[in-house]
Amino acid sequence: MMTPAIKMVHMARDLAIDLGTANTLVYMKGRGIVLNEPSVIALNRQTGEVLATGREAWQMIGRTPGYIVAVRPLRGGAITDFEITERMIRLLLQRVGVSRFTRPKVVICVPSAITEVERRAVTDAARRAGAADANLIEQPMAAAIGADLPIDEPVGNMVIDIGGGTSETAVISLGGIVALEAVRVGSFDIDAAIQNYIRREHGIAVGERTAEEIKMAIGSAHPMPQESQAEVRGRDLMTGLPKTVVLTPEEVRYAIDDVVSSIVSSVIRCLSKAPPELSQDFLVRGMYLVGGGGLLRGLAERIERETEVPVRMSNVPLEAVVLGAGHVIEHYDALKGMFMGARR
Amino acid sequence: MRLLATVVIAAAVVVLILVIVLRSRGASDGVDSFRRQIDALSPEARRPVIDQMYGKGEHNEPRIEPHIDPRPADADNSDARGESTDDDASDQDGAHGA
Repeated sequence: MMTPAIKMVHMARDLAIDLGTANTLVYMKGRGIVLNEPSVIALNRQTGEVLATGREAWQMIGRTPGYIVAVRPLRGGAITDFEITERMIRLLLQRVGVSRFTRPKVVICVPSAITEVERRAVTDAARRAGAADANLIEQPMAAAIGADLPIDEPVGNMVIDIGGGTSETAVISLGGIVALEAVRVGSFDIDAAIQNYIRREHGIAVGERTAEEIKMAIGSAHPMPQESQAEVRGRDLMTGLPKTVVLTPEEVRYAIDDVVSSIVSSVIRCLSKAPPELSQDFLVRGMYLVGGGGLLRGLAERIERETEVPVRMSNVPLEAVVLGAGHVIEHYDALKGMFMGARR
Repeated sequence: MRLLATVVIAAAVVVLILVIVLRSRGASDGVDSFRRQIDALSPEARRPVIDQMYGKGEHNEPRIEPHIDPRPADADNSDARGESTDDDASDQDGAHGA
């Protein structure tokens, strides 16, 4: 039986958090990933009371009565609503055992292109939510650690992290970022592009969850050998009545092409920034794709076709970032030099 | 006067020695901390964390193109990647393979 004192020590374990636009993952020191939930919070619009967080709140998106609002407090990797983000972080930390008496050290993964103001907003939100100390680490660096790339060696490791709101490409060697390119475009922009296309070309309105389902069902960035069409149900903009249309994979590719091109262009820009000595390593070692956006069918082929560099998928694309940050929290003293701001 | 000069010189020597010692220590600290950081990033150090997700023997061998869903063309797309859309199909908005 666990005594209260032992339980308190157990609960005060340090945490690594991947605070993503789409999902929030929490790694607890010595225990591994203990939480993986959508970054969504549902609130009572009238009282401001939190009704649900995570998966439960995600299921409410677009399906709530007037007095409930289900929102994503992060957009493009940045906090759009500080107060709601703080409440969401506090509730998520409570779920993994953090209280006002057990204040752990926290490492949070953030986009590398984050501004000083956004950086402070994230650390303040974590501290107010119960963290004793909050440090930040760049997502591509954490992703490279979590994807098991040999970043301790003097060789070029290239990682492409495509999240919900940001896409970041980094060249890493000897534990440091050599070249970096980030764009505030991610898989939510792909969903939005599908929504806009259906509205414009078929005259029906669909929700963001439906757009995401279309992307996962028939979306691709490059023609694939086995493709099928999808029946899409939405609301006719002219009549207001429910309507069904058939969407082809070619249409979806056309709809999302601008977003995909933007991601591919940022990868090319990062390649062009890399020193020649490291560039040659990419031809042999390839580039590694992580993040939920990297799961889009044909994206690896599309990047490979346009860069002529092999693209490989991490074995743990969704968890790579939090695993990397988890490794940093496990070796906090040795790796604290990798925190944002520590190298300046 | 001579005593004062001696004290000043002695103090200067002590300060000089301190500066030299601290500088050499700072330099070795930099080497040590960099070495510690590189060691902590080695595959051996990362193994316990990575092992939680990867199967044994799969290190540094990420699969190529695992995101390509090999389902047949006539498969029900709504079940792809485990995202069931049964609920949504009956709702106003929804998408499923045709």
